[in-house]
This record gives sequence, structure tokens and C-alpha cells, in this order.
Amino acid sequence: MTEHTPSSALAQGLQGCEICTSVGPVGEDHCECCGATLHSGWDVSIQHTWAWLATSAMLYLPANFLPITYSRFLGKETESTILGGVVTLWEHGSEPIAVIILIASVLVPLGKMTVLAWLCLSVQQGSNFAVAQKTKLYRVTEYVGRWSMIDVYVVGILVALIQLGNIMTIRPGVAAVAFAAMVVTTMFAAHAFDPRLLWAEVGKDSGK
Amino acid sequence: MSAANYKKATKTADSMVTNTGAQMVCHECDLLLGMPALEFGQKAFCPRCNFLLAANRPHALSLMFAFAVAGLGFLLLATAFPFLGFSASGQERTVTLLQSIAILATEDLPSLAAIIFTSIVAIPAALLAGIIYVTGALNNNRLLPGTVVTLRWVIMLVPWSMAEIFLIGILVSFVKIVTIADVSFGMSFWSYVLFTVCLTIVVLYLDKRELWSRVKMLSND
Repeated sequence: MTEHTPSSALAQGLQGCEICTSVGPVGEDHCECCGATLHSGWDVSIQHTWAWLATSAMLYLPANFLPITYSRFLGKETESTILGGVVTLWEHGSEPIAVIILIASVLVPLGKMTVLAWLCLSVQQGSNFAVAQKTKLYRVTEYVGRWSMIDVYVVGILVALIQLGNIMTIRPGVAAVAFAAMVVTTMFAAHAFDPRLLWAEVGKDSGK
Repeated sequence: MSAANYKKATKTADSMVTNTGAQMVCHECDLLLGMPALEFGQKAFCPRCNFLLAANRPHALSLMFAFAVAGLGFLLLATAFPFLGFSASGQERTVTLLQSIAILATEDLPSLAAIIFTSIVAIPAALLAGIIYVTGALNNNRLLPGTVVTLRWVIMLVPWSMAEIFLIGILVSFVKIVTIADVSFGMSFWSYVLFTVCLTIVVLYLDKRELWSRVKMLSND
């Protein structure tokens, strides 16, 4: 890792703007070039990430344990949760779709929160371990998060389409909103995290 | 006013640069780099982590403009005709895209309707309109008032535009419903698919580095 030190922007007191890619000194609040907000305070980034993570973790519980849809079929009403939906899909022989939903709705949010929490912890402990791989992991996390929205759209489509009175009707459950809010807050958490913090220890001698 | 800001910024940047090449920081690993100007068809990768830094794709501006216009057209069509149809036990039902969002809004959960409408219609439309505004001007080698702000917003909105995820959602819903009822895809559905294709192409061609260097060049003239 040490051979990276002299070439890192952070070590030279510089930072790149995420929006317009121009380079400016560390410590500015806004990009001089395009006016975008820059990651400025080191501690603030970690605090914001933790705050968004805590929010999404709290939303994760109702999103997964409360019913996401109520379906009425010939007068009989049943409620289903996200995991219940996965099981139903699997039992009806749609295994690939069941796996997609399981990954997008259950595993991705959970994995994303775990990874971000781990990255925050390792920054706070000043860890120097596998910085490049952690940065890569962060980018993947940032990229896949939005795909969790699939389930929100599925609920939306089912509710909009299946409205045949007593024969067959589907209503959305409160978990749908909790779930959508959870996806959005994990996206905010990923955005709040500043990956350059992972490199802070690498360039410590000359960096801020 | 934004152009004036721009000049100031470029000057300070110049004073920091000792060699001739412009500086850039790798988004992935924070490596400080001297960036060469890219020729048509060239791409620049980070020497340390192999991250794609910038790509000068031929005719990127015209293609982005064209596909953004086409995409907005398809989005307009996607709101005009039946989107999805559903039939079971002799009853049939078709809904348009906006109707289905209105149904959601009245089904106890307007917040859900708002999230869906924003992420699959409002943000993608704003993104394409912004691209048209920016690339339309850059194509004619000029800046319009607010080009800098618009471009900044376009780049920030990209991750929040979820048309392609919505399409996967439709696929999943189709598989869920098909065992209990028949689902038909209307004209608007196919328009929405084409809209998503256009949007994806626009985002593919959107290269921050190239667009901003074009803006910088023009604001220095």
C-alpha cells in the first residue's frame, strides 16, 4: 500500500469533484467549477452514513415483517410479506423470479447495510487493510442498491392492475412504503459515505 | 453569471497545474492523474485500478441529443395509450400508466404513488429534458443560461432514474399474475420499453469529463 501514498490526491491536499471531475483543494464545501456540494468534513461523512444506516435498519424490520400486500380472492382476504411472496413464487414453480426477488429485496439491502457499516467501522479504526478492495466493494454496493426497488414496482403494478371487486383485488400494505423508504435511505447512506476516507490512513503523513 | 464563476475556477485550477495536462482524480482509488485530451474513440483508464475515467465517444453530443428527444417522445406516447391489460373470470381491465399511478394514490398509500411516479416518470423526463437543453447548446458551440446548473442536476439525477428497474418489476409482476389471469401489453407498454432503451443509451454516452471539458472550453472563449 505504501507505494500509493505519494500519488493519492488526498495525500497532496487535493480532491476531485464527483459531478464535474475537476480538481480542487481539500476543505472546500462547494466545487468551484460546477457548484456541487463536496464531501468536506471527514467526521461528518461517517456520521451521516451512520445516521442513514440506522434509519434504514429501523425501516428494514417493518418492511420485512409487516404485510406488503393484502389480496382478496373470491371474498377471502390473505396478507403476504416479502418473504411469503418469495415462498409462494417458489412453490408455483417460478424459481428464477423467486431468486431475483430474494436477492433484490432481502439480501441486497441487508448486504448493503452490512458492507457500509463495516466500511464505517474500518475508517473509524483507521484500518489500512485491503483499501483498494474495499473501495471496489463500496462502488458495487453503491451501484446495486437501486435495484432493490423492483419489489416496490411489483406491488404498484399488482395493485393498479388487479382491481376486480370481490373476485380479485389487491391492496398495498404499509410494508411497501417502509420498503421504498428503506431503499432510498440506504441509497442516501451510500452517497453520504466518502470512499476517500478509506485512503486517509494511507496518505496520513502529508494529508490533512 | 455561471460563466463568470467558471472563468474564476479555471484560473485557480491553472495556477495549480504545473505541467500542461489537466488534472483529474480517479473516482475509484483517489489517484491524482494528469489527463491527456482524448481523441475520438479513445478511452482513459486509471493506471492503478483500471477504472474507466473518461471516454470520448464519437458523435456523443449529437447521439445524446437525438436519443433524448426520441426518449421524451416515447415517454409521451407511453402515457397516451393503454399500458397493461388484465383479464380473469370473464372480466377485463386495461389501465394507462397515469391511471395506474392514480389508482395507487387513492389506495390508502399516496406516498407509494409519489415515489413510483417520481422515479419512473418525473426524474427520467427531467433528465432527458436537461440533456436536450445542455447538448442542444453544446452542439452549436454555445452555452445557454443555466447550462452549468442543468448539467450538474442531470448528473446528480442519474442514479434516481429507475425506468429499467420498473421494466424488470413489470416482468416479475407478469410472472406472478400469469398463473391466475391473462395479462396483455398495450401500445404504451412498448413505448415505455423504447423510452427506456433511449434513456439507457443517453446515460451510456453521458461522460462527465468530456461534457464538462466542453463546457469549460466554451466558457473560456
